[in-house]
Amino acid sequence: MLIPCPFCGHRDQAEFAYGGPARALPELDGQDGTHAWRTALYSGYNPRGPVTELWFHANGCESWIQITRDTVTHRITRSCLANPREREP
Amino acid sequence: MTYSAAALLGHAILGNKHWPAILNTPDMRSSYDVVIVGGGGHGLATAHYLAANHGITDVAVIEAAWIGGGNTARNTGIVRSDYLLNSSFRLKNFALGLWNDLSRQLNFNLMYEPRGYVDLAHSDDELERFTLRANAMRLRGAEAEILTGDALLARVPQLDLTGEKRFPVIGALAQEAGGVVRHDAVAWGFARSAASAGIHIIQNCPVTGFEITGGRLSAVRTALGRVACTRALITVAGASTALAEMAGLDLPLNSINVQALVTEPVNPVLDAVVNYNAGLCYASQTSKGEFVLGGATDGYTSYARRGNFGKIEDVLARALQIFPFLSRLRLMRHWAGTADITFDGNAIVGRTEVEGLMINAGWGYSGFKATPAAGWCLAELLGTGTLPELLVPFSLNRFETGSEQDDAGAGPYPWLH
Amino acid sequence: MTRLGRGGLIDRSSVLGFTFDDRPLTGHPGDTVASALLANGRCLVARSSKYHRPRGILSAGLEEPSALVTVTDATGSTPNLKVTEVPLRDGLKVNSQSAWTGLDRDAGTLLQLVSRALGAGFYYKTFIWPRNSWHRIAAPVIRRAAGRGRVDLSFDPSNYDKRRRHCDVLIVGGGAAGLSAAVTAGRAGATTILIEQDHVLGGALLSSRDNIDGLPAPDWVEEAETMLYALSNVTVMPRTLAFGHYDHGLVYAVETPHSDSVASAILWKIRARRILLAAGAIERPVVFPGNDRPGVMLAGAVRSYIRRFAVAPGKRAAVAVADPAERADTAAALNEAAIPVVAEILPGDRPSGTRGRLHLQGVRWRDATGRHHRTSCDLLCVSAGWTPTAHLFTHLGGRLEFSAETQSLLPSAETCGPLRPIGGARGVLIAADCVDDGKRGAHLAMAELGIHKSLKHGRSAPTPATKRGFESGRGSTFIDLQNDVTGADVALAQREGYRDVELIKRYTTLGMGTDQGKTSWTNCILEIASMTSRDPTEIGHATQRPPYSPVSIGALVGTETGSRMIPIRRTPFHRIFESLGCVFQTSGDWLYPRYFPQPGEDMAGAVERECAAVRSSLGCVDMSTLGKIDVQGRDASQFLSRLYCNDVETIKPGRLRYALMLREDGYVFDDGIVARLDENHYLVTATTANTSSVWRHMLKYAQVVWPDLDVALTQVTDHWSSLSIAGPNARNLLQALDPDFCCSRDEFPLAAVREGRLGGELPARVFSASYSGELSYEINTPSGFAETLFDRAVEAGAQWEICPYGLETLDVLRVEKGHIAPGTEIDGRRTPGDLGMAAMASTEKDFLGRTLLQRSALQAGGREQLVGLVPQDRKTPIPGGAHLSDQPVDRNGCAKTLGHLTATIKSPSLGHPIALAFLKDGIARSGDLLWAHSPVAGKSVRVQVTRNCAYDPKGTRLHV
Repeated sequence: MLIPCPFCGHRDQAEFAYGGPARALPELDGQDGTHAWRTALYSGYNPRGPVTELWFHANGCESWIQITRDTVTHRITRSCLANPREREP
Repeated sequence: MTYSAAALLGHAILGNKHWPAILNTPDMRSSYDVVIVGGGGHGLATAHYLAANHGITDVAVIEAAWIGGGNTARNTGIVRSDYLLNSSFRLKNFALGLWNDLSRQLNFNLMYEPRGYVDLAHSDDELERFTLRANAMRLRGAEAEILTGDALLARVPQLDLTGEKRFPVIGALAQEAGGVVRHDAVAWGFARSAASAGIHIIQNCPVTGFEITGGRLSAVRTALGRVACTRALITVAGASTALAEMAGLDLPLNSINVQALVTEPVNPVLDAVVNYNAGLCYASQTSKGEFVLGGATDGYTSYARRGNFGKIEDVLARALQIFPFLSRLRLMRHWAGTADITFDGNAIVGRTEVEGLMINAGWGYSGFKATPAAGWCLAELLGTGTLPELLVPFSLNRFETGSEQDDAGAGPYPWLH
Repeated sequence: MTRLGRGGLIDRSSVLGFTFDDRPLTGHPGDTVASALLANGRCLVARSSKYHRPRGILSAGLEEPSALVTVTDATGSTPNLKVTEVPLRDGLKVNSQSAWTGLDRDAGTLLQLVSRALGAGFYYKTFIWPRNSWHRIAAPVIRRAAGRGRVDLSFDPSNYDKRRRHCDVLIVGGGAAGLSAAVTAGRAGATTILIEQDHVLGGALLSSRDNIDGLPAPDWVEEAETMLYALSNVTVMPRTLAFGHYDHGLVYAVETPHSDSVASAILWKIRARRILLAAGAIERPVVFPGNDRPGVMLAGAVRSYIRRFAVAPGKRAAVAVADPAERADTAAALNEAAIPVVAEILPGDRPSGTRGRLHLQGVRWRDATGRHHRTSCDLLCVSAGWTPTAHLFTHLGGRLEFSAETQSLLPSAETCGPLRPIGGARGVLIAADCVDDGKRGAHLAMAELGIHKSLKHGRSAPTPATKRGFESGRGSTFIDLQNDVTGADVALAQREGYRDVELIKRYTTLGMGTDQGKTSWTNCILEIASMTSRDPTEIGHATQRPPYSPVSIGALVGTETGSRMIPIRRTPFHRIFESLGCVFQTSGDWLYPRYFPQPGEDMAGAVERECAAVRSSLGCVDMSTLGKIDVQGRDASQFLSRLYCNDVETIKPGRLRYALMLREDGYVFDDGIVARLDENHYLVTATTANTSSVWRHMLKYAQVVWPDLDVALTQVTDHWSSLSIAGPNARNLLQALDPDFCCSRDEFPLAAVREGRLGGELPARVFSASYSGELSYEINTPSGFAETLFDRAVEAGAQWEICPYGLETLDVLRVEKGHIAPGTEIDGRRTPGDLGMAAMASTEKDFLGRTLLQRSALQAGGREQLVGLVPQDRKTPIPGGAHLSDQPVDRNGCAKTLGHLTATIKSPSLGHPIALAFLKDGIARSGDLLWAHSPVAGKSVRVQVTRNCAYDPKGTRLHV
């Protein structure tokens, strides 16, 4: 695959480490406790089709990026930094 | 119709015109005692054991495409039981016992060849961990050996232990009962046996939903119509998430491609199944003479079931470390299967929160070797309603309590298993 | 000799010698082994793998199913090469490979007598009883009997390489469509790559008598070629096989360069924005009884041998070609070679058999009116139609559909990702149409890329084929010549319920040979259709997998062999350690110093000496591989406090603390040191094995999960080399290295960090932390100063006989202290409590993993806990990899186990063996006597459970 990195442009997948589907993790001091963490950590997010996921540009800019990729065709339709504060509006 | 050399000759004389079909093309009934969703190795084995062990034959195996067409068809056919965790070991070792006599049980030559499985270690530390595993196997009643130096070379004379290697081979764990099975034949043998007992095997029939009333399963909906049933099993490997979703279940697993390849066939050279650990590559030679090689998963979610050549290059580079002569052979075909890998890398087998609906998923790349054991145990669960002891550690709710069965210790990240 | 007097694209001025089955033969540059064999009158070149039937040369290209040979040159031998794919070179040794006794008299032909009993899948039906009969008796015989090449086990001296290219437009195939597309794209300014598997461009045009743009086809090829070589934006790659199409415009190809090249094969990874698949089409044989006899040849191949190679493949020819124009062209070609055409068999006719033992001597057929004919001939030119070479279209999931119009499998869409089939690959067979289709394809690609605007251009239609095929008589009709799959086999599979094409393929092995069914698949579909009276469009097709044709594994690995498989990391001390005679060991990425033997000393001796030095005086060890992560920012404390389970916020500047990091699911992930250099500046370490995953984990939480925290992370593992000095004289050495460096016990206590310049100049960070259990300082210095640091340490430490030690000693020292290590104790399945560190998990703060650590099974009693072991007799070594039990092994060698060892040593400091182990309820079993069983070692040792720290458990040696 050729993964578009917002910093480095299109780069070979071999430069990246996979980080799994993007999942919202509970606050550490949240009151919802075990159930929330279990749900967050052990949900599959395993669709046939587009999925939003994290990749780490390990042999590049070392950014975590978030892409939307079709798990059947491997078409990538969106790419941005995973850091919500550094995303373009 | 019994298969035998005599039958083969008899039919040959008659021009092979009277061989019966291994399976019929039955019309699907509107209800069954048990519906098995998925006509792969595990589903068909479950059907066989339902009939053979429990006398239950009012069963339909419903397959979206053709029998054995998923990971059974894409398998490298290796069987072994060299696991450290007791839960993994027991299930796979039970399977190994079943493989040993399965051709006779099914009256179908599955070409089980216990050629021996040799797992190579690359440092003293690794060899000590292998020793730990071999000891675990021995103390549980299985056979295992640690081989070093000349003994290893005598066991696998083709191994190249000379020259400068990135990860030199220090020794190996050998399990002589390990070996290979002709993967396609497993599906056919189980299917033939189940069909001859009267079980319906329905191909080209995708399941479209489950009817659940008051938390109980009442019917399975398919492309060919509704089938009433109170007991059903989902056993669809790479498609587990989609099928479980139809029943409102969220399975803790990801579908990830696993690559495999074969070389052109050559005269027999390699007898054992050999595993190279530094980066993972396993190799064996088929009866047809092809070298079959595989490696670790692609490491990201995908249903594409197609080659990822970077991985193939990795696997081949490792293969050349131990068998440099492979550089003279040519790659003939490579492909991928979709492995469903859970958050501890081990299978999910047993009941779900929907009463009557059982799940068999998450086998990752250890599903083939467990086929008869999974079928045996699932048939017991479906047939008697009791969860066999072997399956207890593999419950769906183990992640809630923290009873993970993590052989690799890689944690809740399926892509690292 | 059957070489024609003139014509052909061969260089008659030069003669190449080669042998076939040891008989010397000659050919010319421009020949393939196939054409050279035919020129020498040699057609029988192989025996089939199953029935050992005589087989000749069917084709002139990569689709060849039958003529497989072993070719030997100076580098060794390669099995299973198709004679049609090997360009002739001087000195080649060509050998047939599947005959048992010889090509002419092969004892294996006896198998034909029982061939009916050896039909499709016969082996599934026998060798079932007795239980081991398959493995012990049948399989070894069958494995040896099956005809195939022998692998050369000798060292392969060939060089292989891997390279990359990228371009706007990649064109796969240099025939009419490909050349025309390349010229169009090249002239328009697109960076263009043209790949051709053959060593010359032109494809089928080389043996065509068509006119293109007013020029004879071969001249048109030459003109196009000249133009392409003149364009600087065009790269032409002949002798290169594009074998696979992968995600996002990636095509893999293997180049087999000229024999004078250093590399014998090169793997190319070509990334293209658009790919035009112009791979042409493959001719389909006619299926009829005896159709496998040597002398039956594809009509296109006959034309190619006559016109391109100037070889007469026979003396009397019959022609069975479906398409009238091709029939006429074949007759014309035969006429050019003065080969009389004795018969024309037409569509609708029913060929019923061939005659001849080792070569075709005659053919018989029944015409549409029912009249029987027979003729003697030694060449039968067959063609039932053409199958588009659309393999690369399907590699990414593009589907093929059977077209009634063309009687072949055509791409079901115009595109598959960036790939577009053009010309023969989409069923366009007429040369002029192909040229047009090439132009159109190139224009379309360039318009899509914005290289020029979109042009209106009509689309050539796939060339229709006659629906009326040849009928077939009864008898052994071979569909797959390589695997000896007959019509009867396909019928048997149908009858036995293997109805899906994928099942037929697997049951009969049709299309699973080294040709991957290039000439057999369409015929199989048509056979199934006619057997089952179904429409061929309903039957589907088996998935085509890469590679398109077999490719050299040597090339796929390239230079990544031996020690070059993956890069090796060496620490900054490597060179100096080498000069000390250090023994190194690879582990993961790194090459570690393992031990430093004195002359004549083995590892055990060296380790004992090194340990003694550390315990009694002074040693130094390279710790550079430990991960070092610099953490700065206003929220650095907060950030680390969330990541580590113990209290790290209260570390004062200038101090450090041992810390434990958990995964989200509550299990121990890694351990290390958190050193606070300043209020908002930390340096944390990670274990060598986990550095990259810890680094990834920390960045993920900083960037993705807690972006609100003000924290900046930098990995400085490579920037700082690290030398740990350990032993009772460690402080003396530090003092000697810099008398001004305040390192008294009060000024620089245990668990502290100081920054400064040693000796006033050597930049250093010194951490007082101990893994060995002795007084110890880890001195970090920028990597460029590593050797200086080491030299000074050795020089200044000489008075205390400083001893460099390696990883083996480090491990012994840590086991004596009961410290945990990744891979053994940190195995991904342990809680802090399991490791005896329950108290480290803070109850005061929130940290990652805290919530799920509370899950019932993680808190339940009966978990395995880390303990120490000593042999009951304080003497017997405890075998590595042993398991613990409260019982001896039973008669069967089995025992119920309670845990297992993680490390075992003979402790030099204590003078007796010790071990670390995980033991069920281990803490509570302290003092118990157990068995340590190692059946592999044949040993069972009585051991006593102790605490995990065996050496100086109170830590008094650290506080001196």
